[in-house]
Amino acid sequence: MVGVGTRILTVEDDERIRTSVRLALEDEGWSIEEATNGEEAIAAFGANPADVVLIDIMLPGIDGFEVCRQIRRQSDVPIVMVTARADTHDVVAGLEAGADDYLTKPFAPKELSARIRALLRRTRATEGANARLRFGSLEIVPAEGVVTYDGEEVHLTKTEFRLLVELATNPHKVLSREALLDRVWGHNYFGDGRLVDVHIRRLRTKVESDPANPRHVVTVRGLGYKLQG
Amino acid sequence: MADPRRSRPRFWPLAHVGLRARITLAFSLGALVVSLLLIIASAVLIRQNLLTQRERLVSERVAVNAALVADKVGLPEIDAQTVFGSLSTAGKPSVVLQDQSTRSDLFISVDTAYGAATLPQSLRSEVLDKRTTAVMRYERGGELLLAVGAPIPDRPGAYFEVNQLGDIERSLSSLFIPLATIAAVTCAFGATLGWWASRRVLRPLADITDVAESVAKGRLDSRVAYSEWADDADLAPLVSTFNDMVAALQDRIDRDARFASDVSHELRSPLTTFNASLQVLANAREEMPERAQLALDLLESDMARFTQLVEDLLEISRFDAGAVRLELDEVEVVETVEMAARTLSQKPLPVVADEDLRGVIITCDKRRLVRVLANFIDNASKYAEGATRIVLERSEHPDPGDAEGEPHRWIRIMVDDEGPGVPESERGRIFDRFNRGTLGGSRGSDLGVGLGLALAAEHARLQGGSVWVESRPDGPGARFVLELPYVEADSTGDSSDDEFRLDEVTFGPRPSEAREPTGTHEVVVVPAAEDDR
Repeated sequence: MVGVGTRILTVEDDERIRTSVRLALEDEGWSIEEATNGEEAIAAFGANPADVVLIDIMLPGIDGFEVCRQIRRQSDVPIVMVTARADTHDVVAGLEAGADDYLTKPFAPKELSARIRALLRRTRATEGANARLRFGSLEIVPAEGVVTYDGEEVHLTKTEFRLLVELATNPHKVLSREALLDRVWGHNYFGDGRLVDVHIRRLRTKVESDPANPRHVVTVRGLGYKLQG
Repeated sequence: MADPRRSRPRFWPLAHVGLRARITLAFSLGALVVSLLLIIASAVLIRQNLLTQRERLVSERVAVNAALVADKVGLPEIDAQTVFGSLSTAGKPSVVLQDQSTRSDLFISVDTAYGAATLPQSLRSEVLDKRTTAVMRYERGGELLLAVGAPIPDRPGAYFEVNQLGDIERSLSSLFIPLATIAAVTCAFGATLGWWASRRVLRPLADITDVAESVAKGRLDSRVAYSEWADDADLAPLVSTFNDMVAALQDRIDRDARFASDVSHELRSPLTTFNASLQVLANAREEMPERAQLALDLLESDMARFTQLVEDLLEISRFDAGAVRLELDEVEVVETVEMAARTLSQKPLPVVADEDLRGVIITCDKRRLVRVLANFIDNASKYAEGATRIVLERSEHPDPGDAEGEPHRWIRIMVDDEGPGVPESERGRIFDRFNRGTLGGSRGSDLGVGLGLALAAEHARLQGGSVWVESRPDGPGARFVLELPYVEADSTGDSSDDEFRLDEVTFGPRPSEAREPTGTHEVVVVPAAEDDR
């Protein structure tokens, strides 16, 4: 069980939300650390990195995007953004800043728990987990969590890695955005395709020599994405 | 109907012609009139001039000839040959000799058809009686003639000459072709000038039309380039007023949108606390006394409803504020509907689609498509014990607002149920806000607030589609129809991805790296199905 002992850092300036979310998440079995603003959050994470970070975008002082960027610079910890607005801009900006997933207020704590669990899920055991999956100059070792490009190790966040492995274990097969949302993010509903698109874009900057003209992680219009050699 | 576009009276035949065409026509007509006037005036002047010249010429010659004739008419034997033989003349000469004793006149002429006898009486008496030189222009038998008479010096009698003026008419008519050409050229020049002038005059209107169109499409930051018109005292006020109006509109819409967004934020924060706290309470349900449990149940069910209501209200306020954006996506429509059917309906919901619709990718807003389906299915579960079937069909007809227009292709996604159906009188109204219909009002208390169908209508309208309800064709029950424009996604995009192999996919659009799938749906918080109830 992932929940027990897993520490979540929540960054939220509204005390009532902070407290109620803490109570609800503690009921789900997580241990919670709280920060009331960005500076506090960065300091707390620096002192003792949590397993998951939950950031409200609207914060006094440095905003949630900046907190996200700073934490992402030092860690590949799963980050969930919480936004009050479903504005296209906020969501995409949050994902671009490095968030792995996002929720809009008012969210159900059970939904939040499910999202966090999905992000913490280990790469699914696949047949021949020790296999080295090769796609041209790209090599993936799912069991070791290692990705190399032209022999050089590539650093991916957990979510990027799981996304890549999901594509790699279905070589040359088109995976729809819905399928990827389900397998990587655990969204069982019509999730937000932007989540996939932004992560694919980030993945390309790391595993493609020319991210604008990708050779491995390719788009199949109207259908989804696939990985090829 | 008082359609302002058709209120022009019928007797104005150019009512349907554009302003520009009318200006051009006016200019060319003006040019034509001016050139015709000029031509007529010059023709008249030229003719006058030619005639005057000819008269002077003939008068001088007649004076000379009259003197010459004077010697000849004194001879005892006179005939035409002796009298006129030595004269140089282009006209038809004749002589009238008065015999004082007999008071009778002797007429001598070369050509009797133009002899002195044929001359108008007034001319003859003028010359003979008053003994003055006289000139007369007259028409005879369709021929224009110039007659000049002069008294013969020292003799009772007069010398006349009749000149045919046909040559002047001929030279005038030979002038007609160049003059008509000039008129035509002037007219064409007028038309060109009118076309050019009207374009200049109407250019700000064209600019304004373009901008108004783009504003209507939601690009509120569009403006007419003022600097181009700033120097023009006539047009600058129009352009600046128009720009001010658009700015005011944008400001207003921005403020509304900001308000909706602020309200949204203000409502979402406490709702988050409510939901989280309520869940903590629900987790401790077993430890509560029975009365508290009952209260908790009430709170939970109404919290779900309230959350949904707030979501719907916020969404509909975004429509009202014009703050909604269409996020077009390439959607494999049958698959999407099947997935929606699986996830949105509690019981199995078959999807019936024409075989040739399978694999078809259309361009639409996927999130809104699914929202409409969710609202239809939700509605069916509230009023008809659940949807029983979804049918997909193609259709072809003109735009609903333009019955005579070009037929367009549409796709219909229809959610059937086997409930009591919707009475005819209710069918238009159930898509109004907060209208549950008379049937709904009598139902149980756990019904929605009636924004779902109104939102469905807005979602459809935003995509150029529509929603309505009809009777299920094969039995009792209602059929809720979503009709969207059938815009097949352009599959001819740049397929730079040569390594792509078609056998990897089951249906056939061509791959392309040119564009990402445009997966930028606007996400509306927690969809109905995700509410924690």
